[in-house]
Amino acid sequence: MEVLKGAIALIGYGLAAIGPGVGIGIIAGNAVQAMARQPEAAGMVRTTMFLGIAFTEALALIGFVLFFLA
Amino acid sequence: MEQLILASGECDLTQQTVCAPADVTELFEYRIPVFEILGFPITRTVFLMFLAAAIVAAITFFGLRRKAVVPGRFQAAVEALFGFVRDEVAIGIIGPHGIRYYPYLLAIFLFVLVGNFFEITPFVNFPITSRMALPASLAALTWVIFIAAGIKRQGVRYVADILWPPGVPVFLRPLVGAIEFVSTFLVRPFSLAVRLFANLVAGHVMLTLLLTTGLVSLTTIGEIGALKGAFGIAWWALGLAIFLFEVVVIVLQAYIFTLLSAVYIETSVNPAH
Repeated sequence: MEVLKGAIALIGYGLAAIGPGVGIGIIAGNAVQAMARQPEAAGMVRTTMFLGIAFTEALALIGFVLFFLA
Repeated sequence: MEQLILASGECDLTQQTVCAPADVTELFEYRIPVFEILGFPITRTVFLMFLAAAIVAAITFFGLRRKAVVPGRFQAAVEALFGFVRDEVAIGIIGPHGIRYYPYLLAIFLFVLVGNFFEITPFVNFPITSRMALPASLAALTWVIFIAAGIKRQGVRYVADILWPPGVPVFLRPLVGAIEFVSTFLVRPFSLAVRLFANLVAGHVMLTLLLTTGLVSLTTIGEIGALKGAFGIAWWALGLAIFLFEVVVIVLQAYIFTLLSAVYIETSVNPAH
């Protein structure tokens, strides 16, 4: 039963990582596009990109913590 | 080896390829005190916490002691760091009166940065921010400050606007208000703490697993055979690659913690925009 619980926790973490993975990819890709189109706005875009990544990443990290707690 | 959190003593490489941690729940638990001062037990985390505070105080004191017009190398570095927090974070995010929150943001940035750097300090190898109590306390501090700033700046309207948001159709207001309440007062501090904590735990566990497994493989190569021993080199190399990656994570997480604290304060002091 313990082994099964650990395996399910692993799958749960994997599922929790899908959405944020896609989301961070979209954020970073669009930030690169924005910086390429408007290099003078790169500083602002970078700050906003980190903010967006931080918010998106939280979901994956909560999954990571729950993996240990499960 | 005792420096590392995970029980590598129980690692048996004749049975397993990777030294799996025996018990990770100790990340959330009280540990045995190292020594006592006046009856207060001091654990390694508490000791490193005071050490981090002392390092931050020393950097600030020695960096800005003489205020030379032509700064030396150390003073220039400290001034660049402080200026970055003041101009990019405090004033850049909050606005002109963000200078009032600059001391708090600077203190939290330096403390988290030094605390994170213990992760890759040789012979310490333990980020104090990977114990939940510390990021949770820092997040609670930010929580108190942004609520106090909102109430001081806007009065009762600060809470009222969150619970009963203007500009939303009346029949939706209870729903939006409830969501806003949960996201502002509960999810914000929780995600702020968990983000820092989980990033540092993940890095710490990865480094410990890979470097410990590599070291144990290489030192017991006679018993486990050359094939498994060769794995040790791969684990060690991967561990060193992640070591470099962790430098980026350490600085970035300290920056993000400060940045989000500033963003939360900004939403309290500059309403409706």
